[in-house]
Amino acid sequence: MALIDILDENIIDLEVEGTTKDEVLRNLSQRLLENDYITSVDQFVSDIYVREAEGPTGMGNHISIPHGKSDAVKKIGIAIGRTKNMIKWESSMSNDGFQDTNIIFLFCVSNDSDFAANHMMLLAELAGKLGNDARVAKLQDVKTKKELIDVILNEPESGDAGDNQEDENFDVDINFS
Amino acid sequence: MRIVGVTCCTAGIAHTYIVAEKIQAAATEAGHQCKIETQGTIGAQNQLTAEDIAAADVVILAHDIAVGGVERFAGKPVVDIPINVAMKNPKSLIATIEKKLANRK
Repeated sequence: MALIDILDENIIDLEVEGTTKDEVLRNLSQRLLENDYITSVDQFVSDIYVREAEGPTGMGNHISIPHGKSDAVKKIGIAIGRTKNMIKWESSMSNDGFQDTNIIFLFCVSNDSDFAANHMMLLAELAGKLGNDARVAKLQDVKTKKELIDVILNEPESGDAGDNQEDENFDVDINFS
Repeated sequence: MRIVGVTCCTAGIAHTYIVAEKIQAAATEAGHQCKIETQGTIGAQNQLTAEDIAAADVVILAHDIAVGGVERFAGKPVVDIPINVAMKNPKSLIATIEKKLANRK
């Protein structure tokens, strides 16, 4: 199995309806339900909120990565949605704690970590790819699901880690033990 | 500079891997060698060997939950930060480490 095998066009929606985080999470989850990934939208969304409560899932570049483990999950996968308008989303990237999001990667993961370990490896690989700013910046311009999948799978020309602006106040301690 | 590190987050599904990639890219871009071990829901991947750690100039621990095997890093310069710090400022992180290590020499 390869990365392309978990990128399922049936659970990608480039025109996902919704103007709030909750509406979008529910609409994407509905797609997961219809395509036999989950058994219950309510239970799945409620488990997503459990993880949301632990820390922000906005990752900058107008992208959010809600995720969590749920007993409602039958099949591991990733629903991808793009909204018409920006949605307010909790973020670790901005100082006020929120960002504008229009692309959502909703990780659909089972509670049983032994289950489909191979799928989990692929999901981890996919997550790593979202760490590349050059790649995620391109996601804004894709017009079709096929293009979206190509952007995720193909290596971008530059491997820019991205940073918000140079932060003069940034500091970390090095502990010389 | 040779950098090693470990990332882990609460769910072990997303941030662990995204931040590993960000640190790797920021380090490579600045001309450093870098290897990051991910401790996620599928266990440890890209595991650091004793040789990796021995050769490293600095260890970055970017995490929300306890890092497994911290005893491996005894005696090394360690940067211990919440995972979101590395998520937000990977380049500043590498630049700050460069500066601080240089000042010490």
